[in-house]
Amino acid sequence: MRRPILTALVAVVGLLLLADYLVVNASLAELADLLISAAILVAAGAALAGVASLALRRGGDLWRRRGDPVGALLVLGGMAAVLVAGLRPGTAGAGDPAVGWLLAALVIPIGASLFGLLFVSTLAASRRSLAMRSRDGTVLVVAAIVVLVLLLPLGGTVGSWLSEAAGWSLTFPLGAVFRGLLLGIAVVAAVVAARTLLGVGPADD
Amino acid sequence: MPNPTELIGRIVRFVGEILGASSLRFEIGPTLAVLGILLVFLQLVARPVTRWTTSDAGGLAGVGRSMALAAEAGTDAVVSLGTAGLSRTTDAMGRLQTLAALPLLGHVARAAARSGVPLRVLTNDAMAAVAARATVESAHVSTATRERTGRSRIVVVGEGRPAPAGLAMTTRARPAAAFAFGSLREEAQLHLEGLGGGAGSLSAGTAEPSQAPTVLLPTTAALIGPELYQAPGDLRADVHERTSVLAADRIILLVLLAILAGSALALSGIVDPADLIGTARR
Repeated sequence: MRRPILTALVAVVGLLLLADYLVVNASLAELADLLISAAILVAAGAALAGVASLALRRGGDLWRRRGDPVGALLVLGGMAAVLVAGLRPGTAGAGDPAVGWLLAALVIPIGASLFGLLFVSTLAASRRSLAMRSRDGTVLVVAAIVVLVLLLPLGGTVGSWLSEAAGWSLTFPLGAVFRGLLLGIAVVAAVVAARTLLGVGPADD
Repeated sequence: MPNPTELIGRIVRFVGEILGASSLRFEIGPTLAVLGILLVFLQLVARPVTRWTTSDAGGLAGVGRSMALAAEAGTDAVVSLGTAGLSRTTDAMGRLQTLAALPLLGHVARAAARSGVPLRVLTNDAMAAVAARATVESAHVSTATRERTGRSRIVVVGEGRPAPAGLAMTTRARPAAAFAFGSLREEAQLHLEGLGGGAGSLSAGTAEPSQAPTVLLPTTAALIGPELYQAPGDLRADVHERTSVLAADRIILLVLLAILAGSALALSGIVDPADLIGTARR
């Protein structure tokens, strides 16, 4: 479906922001600030609507006894705990120590314990990849072994040679691949973003 | 009575005053360079005219077969939209990947709808869940299978990037096919391990450069970097999808030519492009 008003709005706002980027003008800067503030407000409103929708959905699950009641209780309880900690009278908002405690004592340790599994799961994935005889996986595992050898903590001439080789591989082959990926991603992302904003083909039809 | 000449004169004076009170933020060279790049970019987006060639990066042509196997086994299929979401406090490039994953979700959802396979979509963002719901419903409408819509589920697994990984690792369900498209970062390995552990097949794609090896390791076919954005163009040869791929290809070619030409000029000592556009050399 074509959305001419939305497309025109995006084009006008884009041109104004581009003009502000290139030209120094007080009125233009104020207008650009106003537009950016409006965009932030819209995004905040969308996020709030999303959270409200999630709470209603989980509340509905509990009320109608459907889905996962324990999960719904945990979600609603977690939301309530952070809201009370951040919105109670006299609080400092998101920077309040109570909110910080909830993050530091609950969320971060749970995440850290999960990431403790990374080593084991990476080894398991490597083994499966070799078992599947995946060409990409085999190259990856061989490269990982080469890097491990290069980073061995050895002294003497061999150690310094390995260290130099590790530095060279990081700067040149890996650097080139990484920058190539970044360039490709940046240009394609710019095209996709422009198409999405201008309504040139919907995200899913 | 208003005089048109006077009105035009006032408008010209007004524009003149605005221009008089303005100055260029950069030198004329960089300003023209920015405007030139924008013009070329818009031209490429609007009018790509090249021969269309397609490929099957990521093995997405096999989605139909996966769904047939799922229907035969009586299991469901899982699609994860990555961990950036649409309204989460993360960078725009991450959230753009969630948008790019929606056409891929649509492709899988259409195949699932035709085969009568229930779909389970995992996301950690309420807004992404709304978009996913709309995409799945649209797939059922386009395949005339609206009566099957209720069998598919959109699961919001909670806030944070580790949450979907934790859920994927602890879920007992064993789907016939699992897909993960979108932004995946430090949790990527755990996320894919959890999804692919019990699944019959696993396809994944991310435009996060640092996670390219992670996506390659557990899957047989993956979408790496720009391929995540280009894959919708490979799935359907509509003009809109083709536009993205063709424009991107031509922009990449132009960027490569510019880099090569700039490097040659700098190496030969004729002129340094960094000085030309006013960029300080590091």
